[in-house]
Amino acid sequence: MIVTPVFTLNDFLPVMPAAVLVVAAIVLMLSEVFLVSATRTYQAMLATLATVVAGGVAVHNAFEPARAALQGYAVLDPFSSWMTAMVCLGTGLAVLLSSGFLKHRNAERGEFYALMLFAAAGMSLLALSAEFITLFINLEVMSIATYALTAFLRRGPRPSEAGFKYFILGAFSAALLLYGAALLYGATGATKLIEVSAALPAAFIASPGLVYAGLGLVLAGFAFKVAAVPFHMWTPDVYEGAPTPVTALMSAGVKAAAFIALVRTSLFLVKGIPPEMPFYLFSGMALLTMIGGNLLALPQRNVKRMLAYSSIAHAGYLLLGVAALFAPQGAATTTDVGVFSATPLMGLVPNVSSGVYKGILFYLLGYTVTSLGAFGTISALERREDETRGNTWDLERFAGLAQRRPGWALAMAAFMLSLGGVPPTVGFLGKLFLFSAAVDAGLLGLAAVGILSSVVGVYFYLRVVVYMFMRPAPADATTPVRHWTTELALITSAVAVVGLGIVPGPITEWFGRLGMIFGH
Amino acid sequence: MIQTISTSHYLILAAALFCLGMFGVLIRRNALVVFMCIELMLNAANLTFLAFARARGDDLGHLSAFFIIAVAAAEAAVGLAIVISVFRARGTVNIEEIQSMKH
Repeated sequence: MIVTPVFTLNDFLPVMPAAVLVVAAIVLMLSEVFLVSATRTYQAMLATLATVVAGGVAVHNAFEPARAALQGYAVLDPFSSWMTAMVCLGTGLAVLLSSGFLKHRNAERGEFYALMLFAAAGMSLLALSAEFITLFINLEVMSIATYALTAFLRRGPRPSEAGFKYFILGAFSAALLLYGAALLYGATGATKLIEVSAALPAAFIASPGLVYAGLGLVLAGFAFKVAAVPFHMWTPDVYEGAPTPVTALMSAGVKAAAFIALVRTSLFLVKGIPPEMPFYLFSGMALLTMIGGNLLALPQRNVKRMLAYSSIAHAGYLLLGVAALFAPQGAATTTDVGVFSATPLMGLVPNVSSGVYKGILFYLLGYTVTSLGAFGTISALERREDETRGNTWDLERFAGLAQRRPGWALAMAAFMLSLGGVPPTVGFLGKLFLFSAAVDAGLLGLAAVGILSSVVGVYFYLRVVVYMFMRPAPADATTPVRHWTTELALITSAVAVVGLGIVPGPITEWFGRLGMIFGH
Repeated sequence: MIQTISTSHYLILAAALFCLGMFGVLIRRNALVVFMCIELMLNAANLTFLAFARARGDDLGHLSAFFIIAVAAAEAAVGLAIVISVFRARGTVNIEEIQSMKH
């Protein structure tokens, strides 16, 4: 018997932001075919507009109650909707950065913005997928667009090399994830996360080997995408070789989307297996990633590469939050979470996990604006004549920036302080929420390691500030060219970094609500 | 006496293909061979889906295979384009020579 599925308009609500992005991307591609004109600024404007509209829809969705949609293949919950809103913010800023960047290199094309929007749509859909094949397809939608973006500039050997490395490791990790999903399908007979989760306890007793192999492969696939430490080798080369606005999008969007999917998948898939296993797994990964990322960033003189390692370290702090979700319940307290705790809704006491969700979301928001701003400043300082010499991103390029472009130097200083977690920036508040949630979950030791390693990080972030403000500009230094879209993006991120750091406003309350993740 | 081929035969074949692909990605030096190894891994996953779907008698696994084939094709298109651009930039597709960024 064939049952025709019945869809209501409500089912399509979660995919609306992605639909807006995809339609805009198609329009942009068609604009390349039909409207050939010398100026292409309107393309950047159209792409930015699409991200603003999609982001607005996502914020609207974030206040809907959590529920399953599209027959359980997707979910509509605040966690994924906030994530989509952040992706739209990050993509919008990356588009603004790209406009000036590409114009400077005579490479501005509608396809570039279209690919960015496709990647953003993939990220948004990845965050709300609740079924393995949907998850895999959306992961690939996001990744394939990003591979193409990485290799987009065809000047010199670096972009294609970065694109190639990203492609090989990205496809490798997707294949790991897929094979893991196939094994879990064999063990449970389902691919929807909620059904897999229900069938796992029985499957674990029947065939533990199959379940362990499946879980391990799925988690390894995600670990590659979020660049957790044993799986991080691709990050520095890819981040360095990609066009800088694309690097910004990768460090903020791709990683955040993979993180949200990792949290959702692992929350569903730990049913039945011994509870301390995921905890030790994520804590171990968090420990290695926090320490490894910060130590590897220490000796870097190449600022772009330093930020690549720093993004690994930040993934480590987020993994600390994920580990807190799986902390053994005995150690957990049910008292108030954190300093800026959420107001209890419906008379319920906020539990540890809502504090962790708040920490993760706020940290992702802070990292999105900060890293977009930091990579944006780097992209504005790049000179085409340095590209062949390979010292484009050397610390020397920042020497004396305070005299040449005081506004940029101030903004970059704010981004560096935020990455280092120094108040009054959004990076500090993010770390505060995340670490206090981890402490509430009983992870004192890990939180201490996190704080210590972020103190190490302050050294290499402040070094950039020292170069900008205390070193004289080298003799051959030129005043960087201004471009209004780049400056708009830099101003937006700088205002967000400092503003959210001082007045987080209602955002902390929105992020701290209950029922953030469907089914949990 | 005809020996029937059971589900576990298919699964072992798929696991062997997957391991072959995985080690190929890790140790082979030619970009195109690495690329083929990734396709091998995806198809091993496909075969696993199909074998389980046949054993269980449901069509979820068959359905998944179609989606995976489509995605693999899209991935191959972009991947080959990137390999071509690597070749144009350097005149080689040997992975050991693709190391211009230093640590």
